[in-house]
Amino acid sequence: MADRKLGLKEKYQLMTRGLDWETTYQPMDKVFPFDKYEGIKIKDWSKWEDPFRLTMDAYWKYQSEKERKLYAILDSFSQNNGQLNISDARYMTAIKLWAQGITPLEYYAHRGFCHVGRHFRGAGARVACQMQALDELRHAQTQMHAFSHYNKYFSGLHQAIHMRDRAWYLSIPKSFFEDALTSGPFEFVTSISFAFEYVLTNLLFMPFVSGAAYNGDMATTTFGFSAQSDESRHMTLGLEVVKFVLEQHEDNVPIMQRYIDKWFWRGYRLLALVGTMMDYMLPKKVMSWAEAWGIYWEENGFALFNDLSRYGIRLPKYHEIATKEKLHITHQAWNVFYTACPATGFHAWLPQPYEMDWLSEKYGETFDRFYRPRYELFGEMEKAGKRFYTNRLPFVCQTCQVPDFFTEVDNPMKQAVRHHEWRGMKFNFCSDGCKDIFVNEPEKFCQSYIPPQQIYQGNAGGARTLQEYAAWLHCPMGSDAGDYYSSDDYKNWLKWHGGRDTSPTTAAA
Amino acid sequence: MAYQLTIEPLGETIEVADNQRILDACLRAGIWLPYACNHGLCGTCKVQVLEGEIEHTEEASSFALMDLEREEGKCLACSSILVTDCVIEAEIEPEPDAKNFPIRDFFATVARIEALTPTIKGIFLEVAEGGLQFQAGQYVNVSVPGVEGPRAFSIASSPSTPGEIELNVRRVDGGAATDYLCERLKVGDRVSCSGPLGRFFVRDSAPEPMVFLAGGSGLSSPKSMILDLFECGETKQVTLIYGARTRAELYCVDLFQALAARYPNFRYVPVLSEPTPNDAWEGETGLVHEAAARHFKVLFDGLKAYLCGPPPMIEACIRTLMQGRLFERDIYTEKFLTAADAAEGLAKSPLFRRL
Ligand SMILES: Cc1cc2nc3c(=O)[nH]c(=O)nc-3n(C[C@H](O)[C@H](O)[C@H](O)COP(=O)(O)OP(=O)(O)OC[C@H]3O[C@@H](n4cnc5c(N)ncnc54)[C@H](O)[C@@H]3O)c2cc1C
Ligand code: FES
Ligand SMILES: [Fe+2]
Ligand SMILES: [Fe+2]
Ligand SMILES: [Zn+2]
Repeated sequence: MADRKLGLKEKYQLMTRGLDWETTYQPMDKVFPFDKYEGIKIKDWSKWEDPFRLTMDAYWKYQSEKERKLYAILDSFSQNNGQLNISDARYMTAIKLWAQGITPLEYYAHRGFCHVGRHFRGAGARVACQMQALDELRHAQTQMHAFSHYNKYFSGLHQAIHMRDRAWYLSIPKSFFEDALTSGPFEFVTSISFAFEYVLTNLLFMPFVSGAAYNGDMATTTFGFSAQSDESRHMTLGLEVVKFVLEQHEDNVPIMQRYIDKWFWRGYRLLALVGTMMDYMLPKKVMSWAEAWGIYWEENGFALFNDLSRYGIRLPKYHEIATKEKLHITHQAWNVFYTACPATGFHAWLPQPYEMDWLSEKYGETFDRFYRPRYELFGEMEKAGKRFYTNRLPFVCQTCQVPDFFTEVDNPMKQAVRHHEWRGMKFNFCSDGCKDIFVNEPEKFCQSYIPPQQIYQGNAGGARTLQEYAAWLHCPMGSDAGDYYSSDDYKNWLKWHGGRDTSPTTAAA
Repeated sequence: MAYQLTIEPLGETIEVADNQRILDACLRAGIWLPYACNHGLCGTCKVQVLEGEIEHTEEASSFALMDLEREEGKCLACSSILVTDCVIEAEIEPEPDAKNFPIRDFFATVARIEALTPTIKGIFLEVAEGGLQFQAGQYVNVSVPGVEGPRAFSIASSPSTPGEIELNVRRVDGGAATDYLCERLKVGDRVSCSGPLGRFFVRDSAPEPMVFLAGGSGLSSPKSMILDLFECGETKQVTLIYGARTRAELYCVDLFQALAARYPNFRYVPVLSEPTPNDAWEGETGLVHEAAARHFKVLFDGLKAYLCGPPPMIEACIRTLMQGRLFERDIYTEKFLTAADAAEGLAKSPLFRRL
């Protein structure tokens, strides 16, 4: 036995746990002040199973190699004017939304994992979170670098961070992550590592990265693959955290259930933006939102929750509503994008005939009955020179901050609104899911920074009109906002292609 | 054509078909490897090739597995196939209690057949050439004339009698092989076998008391394991909860009662789910997991549990054990899967490794 080879687990434990000690000058509770107030009980941190065993040495080696590869491809992409090979300039709306909405979240993730990488009492969990913090910083940086080439040719990419703090629609991802960041450490990892990076990640990454590939965007495809090769660690961390916490104490089960309910619903609401990208912004389609929901949630998600049910965890509350809504939400969201695009940092348009047919095929009756007629009406208005723009800012949900465009599940003609009174104030919500989240944490969510309200109160640089708001956003109509076909992006695209509109005429890649 | 794949640090060897992904072969053989995307993108399933040659399939992303890693002989188990016999090293825990007896193909002669219950036959097979060395709990694959593919049956006898191994075979409705074994097999017939197989064995180095939960012909492995334990002078507390439908389906009662009388640290709890009035049953009733919950007052913390029998019974027991705060690291199972279970197999998530 003396010369028995150390198993990888033992080797890794020697390297990581050995760095940890019980403090003596200060009580441990003062050194780790945040890991108890949530009520999560940890009896024995030594039961933590490392979700991955990567030494710092190996980490640097692999990551630097990934960077070398990625930047070589990005360089050749720009040298070869790769921006000219994308399927159509409309595709850029997907990239803009990602750069404005998701890339800042990568940076938030970096900050969040730095925080919990300091504040978990267990050294194994700290090490895992610290490595993830580095990954997330890398994701933010590589995305910005990949997009910076596009920024030379297209609008809307010039000031993502500035816009994140000002644009009404970007408060959806921003508030999502700020909610997570300001939670306790266990809620943070449950929300991000488990709910977002494990349960919902395939709905975010797969469509986006495959969408990039289908639409000739090699730069994005490559950083997508590069980031996904880090995601394995993030997903396994998510699974390990949930198992560990559930096994440590039975009192943790209801707390984790509440986190799972909350973050499933918040994540799902955020993904409405991604679904809209899949169904409307990609000129070449990968799959529909409804199909992706079917595969990644109804199949894979159910398998996971079937396993979780052994711990006494049930499917997230309102999951059946999310499934029923899959036939509606993306159409409702695009309708808002189309009509409100002057107050955004991207362009919108009416689906082209081949896209209308694709939507009919994918959504059948719901599309033909409820949404096609609306687009046809908008089309007639465009022809008559009266392109419809909404002239108000939307009313948004106090929790998810999505505008009030969702409808009742069983009645797509009726707007869904919920109200709740708290301390003499009336709060409005898009759904029972969002209302429940508020009711559980009213002190937190009464503070939500609701952009349209702030704008109307004069807190958007005093803007009173849409034009003034667009100027404050640094996204004027025509160059950065408004209809695609009257945009600079479209004009330039035609110019670069000898006056030819390159839009595909079929959805297939 | 099939290749042999040895997985270190387990030292276990399995067969991998042409064009079969390594991960798929391992998971099907009951060997858990870490994985997540199953699609060459995430790198979770990275393993080191120690000997032999593999081929990376196109799915293996050049970021999930970089050139420098390929040169070091790494591969993604979910996205590579074998080109020769191979040895790989995976990030899994070594099993200090595994005995890793070599697997071999052999013929055995039917020495005796006993009707243990109306549906279960005890089949005693004589193994020549010194018999079959196996670890209590393991199974053999048996090939039946005219039936495609082998079928798994756990060895019910103790490893101390390697010259004659006992199988307990339950006749499955519409089951080709079990019908043959239970109805047509005769003393003196020769049966083609391979084994020993499987990783269901007692974790002897663990200090915890043990509970065995068995149903139907799933008594086979636990019987072998318990016989072996007491032949080797076991001192930890051992409990066997064994479920059958009726008194007639309950077998080996005398054997276990005698063991319980002789060893104060052995407890035997038979439980009937549908006793008939004629059974005049005064013992436990209900299903195995219900009896276990009553017996341990839904507190299983601090035990090692060994579960053996049909998949629904195993699943019910896992849920009860977890409710009673016993988790994956302390639960070992042998699921008596049939072709019907495999066909309706519910998709699994990577949440659990072995369960
Ligand atoms: C590791 C292990 C150990 C085992 N140990 C034992 C043991 O000790 N004792 C014991 O009695 N059993 C044991 N089993 C179970 C035993 O292997 C099965 O009962 C046996 O394989 C059944 O074979 P069969 O040819 O009789 O049935 P099969 O012909 O394989 O059919 C089994 C059932 O599936 C149905 N079926 C067949 N093909 C399909 C299909 N394609 N789709 C849907 N349904 C189908 C049949 O109608 C039948 O109901 C063990 C199983 C495993 C995996
Ligand atoms: S499991 Fe993700 S690469 Fe193999
Ligand atoms: Fe990331
Ligand atoms: Fe991540
Ligand atoms: Zn909402």
